[in-house]
Amino acid sequence: MSLVWKAALALGALAFFFGVLLAIAYLRFKVETDPRLDELLEAVLGSNCGACGYPGCEPACEAVLAGEAGVDVCVAGGQKCAEAVARIMGVEASMGERGVALVHCQGGLAESAPKAVYHGIDSCAAADKIAGGFKACDYGCLGLGTCKSVCPVNAITIDEDRRRQVDRDRCTGCGLCVDVCPRSLIELVPRDQQVLVMCNSADKGAKAKKVCSVCCIACKKCEKACEFDAIKVVDNCARIDFEKCTQCGKCIEVCPTDVLVRVEPTAAQRKKSKAPTAA
Amino acid sequence: MNEAYRYFLIFLGALLIYNILLIRFIALCPLIGVSTQVETSIGMAMSVLFVMTMATTASWVAWNYILEPLGVGEFLYIPVFILIIASLVQFTEMFIKKVSPPLYRAMGIYLPLITTNCAVLAAATEAVKPGFLKLNVAYHFSLPEALIYTIGVALGFGLVLIVFACIRERLETSPVPHAFKGAPIAFIIAACLSLAFMGFANLLGL
Repeated sequence: MSLVWKAALALGALAFFFGVLLAIAYLRFKVETDPRLDELLEAVLGSNCGACGYPGCEPACEAVLAGEAGVDVCVAGGQKCAEAVARIMGVEASMGERGVALVHCQGGLAESAPKAVYHGIDSCAAADKIAGGFKACDYGCLGLGTCKSVCPVNAITIDEDRRRQVDRDRCTGCGLCVDVCPRSLIELVPRDQQVLVMCNSADKGAKAKKVCSVCCIACKKCEKACEFDAIKVVDNCARIDFEKCTQCGKCIEVCPTDVLVRVEPTAAQRKKSKAPTAA
Repeated sequence: MNEAYRYFLIFLGALLIYNILLIRFIALCPLIGVSTQVETSIGMAMSVLFVMTMATTASWVAWNYILEPLGVGEFLYIPVFILIIASLVQFTEMFIKKVSPPLYRAMGIYLPLITTNCAVLAAATEAVKPGFLKLNVAYHFSLPEALIYTIGVALGFGLVLIVFACIRERLETSPVPHAFKGAPIAFIIAACLSLAFMGFANLLGL
């Protein structure tokens, strides 16, 4: 018998032996699990990336079954996975609970002139440390894109005028950008909130106006216009109480500096608002 | 050399003098990967001890009763040992899942990881294949010797992993320069530990 046959025989016999062993073990030691677990494992991305904080997809799915994790457990999978998981668990997809990132500043280079020229590395934290940042406004966005670089779903874009835009459909509300912003400009706001304050300046009206054309000057017109007591000027900047706000938009009409804006609803909301009319 | 002393030398050599992690630098990925918390490193160490012992036993049997008589061991040992390790890990996982769910939850994550752990293959190969090991105690291990050697390797692995995890837990609260945070400082610590372990060289003539 030649060596090749011997090798094939040895390996084949061992493989057969272990194959049979595993097959028997599978039948004999089978543990009855929730059939939904297998379906859930199909529904999530299944790459064991660990972004959700669980050590793998299986523990994450078990947590969903145990009610410890929400249907949006698969962070990397985003909306699609959340909907699939929600279908299996028989509940509504609730990406809305996680909120969506909002940058409290809309001043680009054109609106808010820089006071110095910055030639350092493209890092907001570094720029912020040098003499309080190159922007005349001490509170506004520096626009160097640290938030953009940490965003796992590329939801943040920055144009050449250093104005940033959050793609609300893409944003999964993971909150990574909230932590890295050296000026704490980013906040997670409820997904269905459309009326938003786009400024975070604590400067008094006159000074704020000097450094930026789209800043809150704390004129309190919005406060007076609001019928629901939902908007208040705190520390020279308007803040909306999302629980009280009815999104009527009266404050937007009276705002002299266009700091209050109404954003487009997200795709999920458009779907939701269309569904009842169709039915 | 009497029998008991021989076993002791094999054990000591595997545990400290030729420590698998710090002297031979095999299985660096678990050393860096699962050493951030003492608790998980203990889980990993136990799992490795368990799987290594089983893998060596099965590999020893396969080598001495199948591969060696057929004369194919020289080139077939890697696929065969990998097959044995992978199957055993699968089998163990199913068995533990059925018999002891708490143990499965404690070890469950690490078991599949160990399948592809080079330390397990290294320990099995060294303990079973004659001439692979450079320890000058014995070249062809009997089954008890192979087992003692493997347990030594696994305990050495566990010892270093747990010591390393303790150090890394303290590092978390230390003012490490930003550029060194995470893996870089871990590698530097590993190198320092390795230097310390080199002090064991030539102990008892090994």
